[in-house]
Amino acid sequence: MVRQMIEVAMQEDVIIRPDTDIKMEAAGVDMWYGSFQALTGVCIAVPARQITALIGPSGCGKSSFLRCLNRMNDTIDGARVEGSITLDGCDIYSRETDVVELRKTVGMVFQQPNPFPMSIWDNVAYGPRLHGVRSRSELNEIVERSLTRAALWDEVKDKLHQNARGISGGQQQRLCIARTLAVEPEVILMDEPCSALDPAATFRIEELMLELMETYTIIIVTHNMYQASRVSQFTGFFLLGELIEFGPTARIFENPLDSRTDDYVRGRFG
Amino acid sequence: MRDSLPIFTKYPLGELLSGTRWAPTSDPERFGMLPLMLGSLYVTLGAMVIAVPLGLATAVFIAEVAPKPVQEFLKPTVEMLAAVPSVVYGFLGLLLVGPWLADAMDLPVGRFAGVGALILAFMAMPTIVSVSEDAIRAVPVALRENSLALGATRWQTIVRVVLPAGRSGIIASIMLGLGRAIGETMTVLMVTGNAAVIPQGLAGMLKPVRTMTATIAAEMGETAYRTEHYYALFAVGLLLFIITFITNSIADWAVRSAGGMRE
Repeated sequence: MVRQMIEVAMQEDVIIRPDTDIKMEAAGVDMWYGSFQALTGVCIAVPARQITALIGPSGCGKSSFLRCLNRMNDTIDGARVEGSITLDGCDIYSRETDVVELRKTVGMVFQQPNPFPMSIWDNVAYGPRLHGVRSRSELNEIVERSLTRAALWDEVKDKLHQNARGISGGQQQRLCIARTLAVEPEVILMDEPCSALDPAATFRIEELMLELMETYTIIIVTHNMYQASRVSQFTGFFLLGELIEFGPTARIFENPLDSRTDDYVRGRFG
Repeated sequence: MRDSLPIFTKYPLGELLSGTRWAPTSDPERFGMLPLMLGSLYVTLGAMVIAVPLGLATAVFIAEVAPKPVQEFLKPTVEMLAAVPSVVYGFLGLLLVGPWLADAMDLPVGRFAGVGALILAFMAMPTIVSVSEDAIRAVPVALRENSLALGATRWQTIVRVVLPAGRSGIIASIMLGLGRAIGETMTVLMVTGNAAVIPQGLAGMLKPVRTMTATIAAEMGETAYRTEHYYALFAVGLLLFIITFITNSIADWAVRSAGGMRE
């Protein structure tokens, strides 16, 4: 069923890249917080090196779903996931999965920019150090490369050893992206990365996402439908814990198959 | 404060501070405060060496590791320990810990610096545990999640993010614990043996000592009003005040500079 969705999408020839393959795939995912069911039967196939947007009104489960993809929900008491989620075909909820490895491969950028209370350099070097990089010169290289990729290097290169809390919100968010890039993930999950930022900073992050798409698979949860239509190639619409519709962004916005999607993207509710 | 001044006119400050004998009733009288200061130093530092690691470990355990029911049991228990009067701890030290340690280490008496340090450690620990536990809890969940999302284990997250982020509170807790240990009188009076001798090396931990606070408490009631001995005790009090003031200033500075990194 999931493959069908992708095939349908492909037939509609809106795919930007011809070599699209599936990076992550969810099949029949149910999720509970205690006795509250937050997700019901979510099936989705996320194409590699594309931006997939998840939209929907507050409380529809889109963030919960995002947090299933790197098992961040493991840290919440009473959270339970059923169904299967695969990364490159391997079940990430199987017993053999190393959560640390998973989270290295599937990085996450949160809603609030949240640098650690340490210097900019230390923030970026945090991940690589965890994973055993010791040499100062190697770390310097990683820090520069990650900050450059996150389009932040020029702004902070003279204050790498200042406290990361001292830079602006937009810069902090790009720092968080650089921090995620430093562990060399393959997938980047973004949970409303721009909702705490002003329009100019939002624009920079969106630009950055389009650049990062060349190398990384990006899944972004957003409240902002314009953002979804600007940056993403695929869009999934969530409502009350179900994935109502998933397909190429242009089709979801211009010609949705489901009337509820239609209502939402036209701003009739939500 | 004024009552401490006359002693300085009779004995030079240097002699008071570095004199190695405290013998207020001998002839001639000696008011060397060095043994008392070192006594306080031994007992207090000994207590902190035990209390800080143990207290921090307990705080981390309660805040981060223990399951809910264990947390709910441990936290009030630890806080209750802080409310036990010091005489009770003194009794425990005198009757149980001292003799037991003396037995175990084959010492002639069960009253020495080490017992005081151990008992003080237990008195300082509840403060350290409960204040630093609050500091650890106050670290935003988002910081932990960011760390976990970068592939850190829970332990790495605690050591590299949570403790540094909570460090101003943790330093404050240690300083409060230290304050309790320096200022504690009753317990040390009961368990440290009260011999005003200069402790030497690590072995000094196993010998009787006498702290500044215990000296004041033990002798003040028995000195004649406005004698040199009386003035000298006030001078000890003044010294104690200066030392605590300096420690607090250092703590304040440490909290401030740690806090500066946070914002």
